[in-house]
Amino acid sequence: MQSRKDLFPGYDVLAKRDTPSWNPKTRSVIDERLAITPRTHRFLDAAEFATLLAVAGRIVPQPAGRTDPVPAAAMVDHKLASGEHDGYRQAGLPEQGTAWRLGLKALDAEARAAFGAAFGELGAWAQDMLLKTCEDGALRGPAWADMPSDLFFKKRIIPDLVKAYYAHPTAWNEIGWGGPASPRGYVRMDFDRRDPWEATEAKPGREEEAYQENLRVGR
Amino acid sequence: MRLSGTGTAADNPSRGTPADDPMHRPRAVDGRAPDVMRRGEWVPMRQFRDEEEVDFVIVGTGAGGGTLACRLAEHGFTVAALDAGPYWRPLEDFASDEMHQSKLYWTDERIVDGENPLQMGSNNSGKSVGGSTVHYAMVALRFRPEWFKSRTLLGYGADWPLDWREMWSYYDQVEDDLKISGPVTYPWGPKRPRYRYRAHELNAAAKVLARGAEAMGIDWTPTPLATVSAPRGDSPPCVYRGFCTVGCSTNAKQSVLVTYLPRALAAGAEIRDLAMVGRIETKDGRATGVHYFRDGRWRFQRARNVVVAGYAIETPRLLLMSANREFPDGLANSSGLVGKNLIVQGNQAVWGDFEEEIRSYKGPPSLAVTEHWNYEDRGKDFHGGYCYMSQGPLPTLWGSTQAGAHGLWGEALVSEMQRYNHVAGLKIVSEYLAQERNRVTLSDETDQYGLPIPRITYSWCDNDKALNRHGLDFMGQALAAAGGRNIWEQGDDTNHLYGTARMGHDSKTSVVNGDCRSWDIPNLWVCDGSVFPTTGGVNPSLTIQAIALRTADRIRAMARGGDRRDA
Amino acid sequence: MPMPSSRAPHLRERHRSSADAAGGVVPPTLRRASPLCLELPGHPVATLALAAAGAGLLTWLAAGRSKRAGPASQGGRQALPDRGRSYGSRGAEVTASAAQRLNHASSMLAASVLFDSGLEHYRGQFFNRAMYTPIVVSSITLASSLHGAGDTDPGSSRVRHAAQALAGLTGLVGFGFHAWNVGKREGGYSFQNLFYAAPIGAPMALTLAGILGVVAERVRDADPDAPELAGLPAGKVLALATAGMLLGTTAEAGLLHFRGAFQNPAMLLPVTLPPLGAAALALAATRAPGASQTEAKAAMWAVSAMGIIGVAFHAYGVARMMGGWGNWRQNLIDGPPLPAPPSFSGVALGGLAALELLERHRSRF
Repeated sequence: MQSRKDLFPGYDVLAKRDTPSWNPKTRSVIDERLAITPRTHRFLDAAEFATLLAVAGRIVPQPAGRTDPVPAAAMVDHKLASGEHDGYRQAGLPEQGTAWRLGLKALDAEARAAFGAAFGELGAWAQDMLLKTCEDGALRGPAWADMPSDLFFKKRIIPDLVKAYYAHPTAWNEIGWGGPASPRGYVRMDFDRRDPWEATEAKPGREEEAYQENLRVGR
Repeated sequence: MRLSGTGTAADNPSRGTPADDPMHRPRAVDGRAPDVMRRGEWVPMRQFRDEEEVDFVIVGTGAGGGTLACRLAEHGFTVAALDAGPYWRPLEDFASDEMHQSKLYWTDERIVDGENPLQMGSNNSGKSVGGSTVHYAMVALRFRPEWFKSRTLLGYGADWPLDWREMWSYYDQVEDDLKISGPVTYPWGPKRPRYRYRAHELNAAAKVLARGAEAMGIDWTPTPLATVSAPRGDSPPCVYRGFCTVGCSTNAKQSVLVTYLPRALAAGAEIRDLAMVGRIETKDGRATGVHYFRDGRWRFQRARNVVVAGYAIETPRLLLMSANREFPDGLANSSGLVGKNLIVQGNQAVWGDFEEEIRSYKGPPSLAVTEHWNYEDRGKDFHGGYCYMSQGPLPTLWGSTQAGAHGLWGEALVSEMQRYNHVAGLKIVSEYLAQERNRVTLSDETDQYGLPIPRITYSWCDNDKALNRHGLDFMGQALAAAGGRNIWEQGDDTNHLYGTARMGHDSKTSVVNGDCRSWDIPNLWVCDGSVFPTTGGVNPSLTIQAIALRTADRIRAMARGGDRRDA
Repeated sequence: MPMPSSRAPHLRERHRSSADAAGGVVPPTLRRASPLCLELPGHPVATLALAAAGAGLLTWLAAGRSKRAGPASQGGRQALPDRGRSYGSRGAEVTASAAQRLNHASSMLAASVLFDSGLEHYRGQFFNRAMYTPIVVSSITLASSLHGAGDTDPGSSRVRHAAQALAGLTGLVGFGFHAWNVGKREGGYSFQNLFYAAPIGAPMALTLAGILGVVAERVRDADPDAPELAGLPAGKVLALATAGMLLGTTAEAGLLHFRGAFQNPAMLLPVTLPPLGAAALALAATRAPGASQTEAKAAMWAVSAMGIIGVAFHAYGVARMMGGWGNWRQNLIDGPPLPAPPSFSGVALGGLAALELLERHRSRF
């Protein structure tokens, strides 16, 4: 398996904030998102949120010491607190807030049953093992009530956390996406072409060149 | 004097308008509606009192309802069009952000089940004035003529009560109204008039499709799209920002919101935003108006005719919710088919990565298409056809595809996501078959309006599965031939909704006739994707709009011929 | 255009630190290396502009002072007030005046090519090094043509002649390149690629500049009383040639305006007026030598004016793009090309030169 690299050195999508690539609405929307701090939670209680933080750390792991981490767990809590729904839910799953509360409690209960510690206190290996078992639908402790653990994993944990993570500028920098684009869009659309306001990928041996180019995206 | 296009739409939007909240307070009030093309400006709007009996009340303002409202008003009828969604000002309200723009979707709760539960709430359901056309991918394809007689000519599905030649003249009208940007010559089907605007430049993702098609020896073409490639009035040409499916903030997209609805207003129609219709009232076998929730209270609009245009979930839901003593099984449901025969289209994909940078986030997502397997019947072990198109998923969509369909999480996910700029994919729009077991019913739970939540049941039949296999295999070969590596299949996605109020020749086997008029209630009409008895292998919007134009003309012809009460 | 910033302080901080955040690990060596690179000389585009200007200047100097002494021969456009229009009675002055007119024409075309190819090849990011060529060559042509434009001397200049011939050749090679670029794209020689691949007709504008420039030199050398080109009467040949050039330029504008779906009625002008002008030129060529060509001249002036007004229309077109002029980095290259329309004016000036030769032919008798 490949591991995450610094493919777009120096690229910061926020450097484009005051260019024609961002309209006022976008600026205010992203400002609001950036105001969510990693530990804000309004919907989940402290224990549930601690479990969610740990789950997020395994589903969308981030490098230790990242100065600008994606508050993926807090963004999920934000979604639940503001009552934004997906527009559907699979039969067998309760409403999203109820499902999350139930599922996080159940994960914690499974952790305590299997390892004698809270989910958040387990090591990465044990957390991954529990999550894989959850994905396979093999967690069936009483705390799950009638909710199938695989449905909870596939329809709540995965989409909610992954969408939260990739809705954050830090993640955009990581994958080299151009970010918001209006009124200015793009001009060069062919293979291997980029506009001066897009991220440059570091080719082996040419990281410095990419770094210099990436400093220019906000000009 | 203001030169066209230089006033506000083309301005660098450097200021917002004073705060208003389109999601909670209606904008179309006090005799005016938002001028969607210009920041902060308004256009006058005629308004009707609830007690005033309008000729038509239309439920829904999307491809079906919005288009119909425009033409009926232009034909001189009094029209009130109600929509549950907000009245957006795209230039001011739309951010370049996937998460925020989910405000365009119908995100009220729905329950999905069956063997292949549908994913709702995003690409197939809009909650906006203008409906799903506000966030559609603008793909404007015509039906293959044979599909209107697919039972007779192709041996599956059902025959439509419509003639393809007549439909083709209405397609032409829609293409003109939307100034579709398409290729100079179209490779498949009978000759069609030239698209009004030229096709867009292809992005690398589209060129991948072209390379693959050329390697496989089949035709391809730049996709006819409802986004302008040159200025049109206050619409600037597309800037290739790539956010089409989360709302166009430049108004290059020719959605119903910026095309037919301004015309409807100019012709004297009223549009009511944030107006959720919960029930159609009937008396003596005729519809008398609709109960709707707006501004915190339930109200009743009287009408001589009611048109339901809520798309294939909300339309049957409303008909079923309106059950009363006179029609205990729901309105227009003597056939028992309201809500049944729900059809979607396959939307599976193959994805691969490329040595070159693709950056498919630039430009409209589906710039190239091949309809080869819509027009070629040889070599198929299934009924139906399909087209496939190039793709341009934005990060959260791509992330959830990698995590959901590809099953990646943890380090595997975040490192794979770093290939984002090198990924290209091909995505199918395919024809599934109607089955009565696929249906919309009412559940016991209620929503924020106190209305029963719909339950949506869906399972593939063997033909659907055979089609899926054929499509995925072919697209996989094409992608590999174009240079794709590490190719994987996304097998679960579906799109578009049809069939839950199907049209037909016979009141026993259909809900409405060819004029979209219900068999049971002469002044109740359905005008949206629900009326399709078959889907064909193309996106529905153009056909829905062509049907709406035809319906408006038919209504005018009938009104001239007789009693206006019968429309 | 920068937009008002309301960025909160915490965002600034975030911005500064986010290089670390981008994917986590930035090798410290990169950071230390960066200031070195910032000291590299200016932007490549500036370097290119400098090179082009240098080439032009060298051409100018190489063309040298005019051979004949006198106030009208200082080699500068400014040195010759009104002389371009005040035709003397002597044949030599007619040919020199026509030659100057031709040099005006090729200047206009060369300038149009210079800016247009600069813009388009900047869009193409000079992906192929050959894409620098038209910018340098059109600069040389421009300098040479301007030099000629100010030269009342009836004799030709070898340097100018060579520069113009180079331009003619470069345009043809460019045409070949562009044709190859169109053909190799997915879809081959389709409308789609004619619209969006390298514009197939554009390099021919450089060839036209070169041809008109070469003809200018030939006319200077010709017998003033019976100027000939390739053994045929110069006026006639030139009239027919410029008529053909007008039609070619019309084809190019027609293709691109078709791409724009003729969305503005004014877009029809460049596909209707120039063919009328071409017809007028052809008609003029059939008339008796020395006949008055008032109508044809009016047509040529109209086409020239259209080329200039076209720039204003294109500027309006840029304003109609999303973000208007504030989004110039996108819209100048995605919108209608500002430098393109004057190529019509260039060809029309060539037509005027032809008409001048036709009209003045009577001096023979």
